Amino acid sequence: MGEERKYTTVSIPVQLYEKIKKRIEGTGFTSVSDYVTYVLREVLASLEEEEKEEVFTKEEEEKVKERLRALGYLD
Amino acid sequence: MMKVFVIGLDSAPPELLFNEFIDDLPNIRRIIERSIYGPMRSCIPAITIPAWICMATGKTPGELGLYGFRHRKGHSYDEIWIAHSLKVREKAVWDYIAQKGYRSVLIGIPPSYPPKKVNGWLISCFITPDSSVNYTYPTELKKEVERLVGDYIFDVVFRKEDRDSVKEKIWEMTEKRFEVIRYLIQEKDWDYFHFVEIGLDRIHHAFWKYFDEKHHLHEPNSKYKNVIPDYYKLLDREIGKTMKLIDDDETAVVIVSDHGIKRMKGCFAVNQWLIEEGLLRVREGDLPKGRIFRLEELRVDWDETVAWAWGGYYSRVFLNVKGREKNGVVRISEYERVRDEIAEMMKSIRGPNGERWDTKVFYPEDIYPVAKGDKPDLMVYFDDLYWRAAGTLGHKSNYLPENDTGPDDAVHSEYGVFALKMPGIDEKKIITNMTIYDFAPTVLSLFGIHEVAKSLRGVSVV
Repeated sequence: MGEERKYTTVSIPVQLYEKIKKRIEGTGFTSVSDYVTYVLREVLASLEEEEKEEVFTKEEEEKVKERLRALGYLD
Repeated sequence: MMKVFVIGLDSAPPELLFNEFIDDLPNIRRIIERSIYGPMRSCIPAITIPAWICMATGKTPGELGLYGFRHRKGHSYDEIWIAHSLKVREKAVWDYIAQKGYRSVLIGIPPSYPPKKVNGWLISCFITPDSSVNYTYPTELKKEVERLVGDYIFDVVFRKEDRDSVKEKIWEMTEKRFEVIRYLIQEKDWDYFHFVEIGLDRIHHAFWKYFDEKHHLHEPNSKYKNVIPDYYKLLDREIGKTMKLIDDDETAVVIVSDHGIKRMKGCFAVNQWLIEEGLLRVREGDLPKGRIFRLEELRVDWDETVAWAWGGYYSRVFLNVKGREKNGVVRISEYERVRDEIAEMMKSIRGPNGERWDTKVFYPEDIYPVAKGDKPDLMVYFDDLYWRAAGTLGHKSNYLPENDTGPDDAVHSEYGVFALKMPGIDEKKIITNMTIYDFAPTVLSLFGIHEVAKSLRGVSVV
C-alpha cells in the first residue's frame, strides 16, 4: 500500500440516507456521499469561522464587560 | 417609490408614549394620530440584545442563537462571550432591500459593532468599546461624524449615585445623535433610515423611582421627579426638528421600541436560593463574610452541583449535565425530570411577604422553532419580570429592595410600541395583537418584497 487512502466510510441512519437520496434527486449531486461531504464541509467551515471571531481585543472586551456590568446586563 | 424612516426608542412603553405623556409630545402625537399603532409584544427574553435584531431579521432568539448580552463559551462554567454584530447570521431588512438596490442609513441598532458592510452607511451601537475604534461603515463616515459632533457618545453608564452627571451626559448623547441623524438624512441618498436612541432606556432605569409613585422607594418631590417627562419632551423636540427634513408624501414613518419598562419591585438572589435548595454547592469555608460577591469568586463544588444561575432582567439557569459539563452530575436520562422539577420549584417561589408571584419559566426548545448556540436550560421571568435576578451572593435575604450592582429602579415589560404612518393616510387605526416579529414583514412589504415577507413568521400590518 504505497498510496494513502483518500476515502473512508462513516455510518448514518438508513432513514436519513433515504431522506437525503430523495432530496438530491434532480440536483447536481450524484450521490448521497457527495451531498454529505458538501454539507459537512459547509458546517465545519462556518464553525471554524465562528471560532476565529475574536472581534474584541482583551482590553476592549474588559472595557465592554465592565460597561455592560455597570448597565445591569451581566448581573 | 416609498422611503421608510424608523425611529427606534429603546424601552418606550405604550403606557407612557401613547397615553400618559402624549399631550406634552406634539410632534410624536402628530405622527401617532395618523398611524396604525398599538402595543407590540417583544421576544423572549424582552431585552435590548436580542430584541432589536429579532425585530430587524424577523427571527427568534433561538434562530439567531442570541439569548442576551453574554453567553457561555460552549459548556464552560466560567468562560463567556459577548454578543456582537458578526454573531448575527440571519438577514435583516436592510440586507433584503439591498438586493433590490435600496440603500440604508443605520445608527445604533444593537448589536452593530464591529460595523458590517451594508449597502449604505452604518454607525455602530452601544457595545462599541469607545470612540477610538472604527465604528462606521464606510470607515470614512467616522470623520464626518467627528467633524459634526466631536466625540460621538455611544452610551451612558447610569448605575452611579451622581444622578446630575448621568442626566447631563444622556442629554448630550441624545442631542449629538439627533444632530448626526439630521445630517445623514440630508447628506445621504437613502431609502431606508433606522436609528435607535438608547438614552430613553438609560433615563428610565436611572430615574424611575423619582417619577413613579407606585415604586417602593419612591421619593416624592425629588428634584429628579421631572427628569423622565423632560426627557420625553427632549425626544419630542428632536423628533419635531427631524421630521421637518422628511418628505411626508413619500416616506413612511415608524416609531418602535424593543420592549417596555415598569417599576422594579426588587431583586431576587437566585444563586442563594439554589444553595438553600441544595441544588448549588459551594465550599462553605470560602464564603466571604460581610460583603457581596460573585459566583465566579467562589469555589463551586461542581461534583455536587445540579444547577446554577445568571442574574439580569431575566434569569438564565444552567443544569450541570454529565457528559456535557466538565464535572456534570445530572444524567441525560434524568435531564427532563430534573429540569421540570426545578421549573416547578421556581414557579412556586413566593414574594417577601408570602405573596404569590407570576413567575414564568421557559425552555428554549419549546419557545423557538430551533434553539441554536449557547442556550440556557431554563429562562426565568421572576414575577413577570417585576423582580430582577441577582446572581451575586452574600445578601442577608434573598429579597433585595434595591439592585445588587448599583442603583437601578426599573425592569423590562413585555410590551413595547409600534406606530406606522403611511404617506397619504390621515387616520389612526389601533391594533392590539402585534408582535416584534411583524416588524420585518411590514417593512419588507413597504418595499414590495412580498415573497420574503410571507416566508417570515410574523405578518405585515399593511
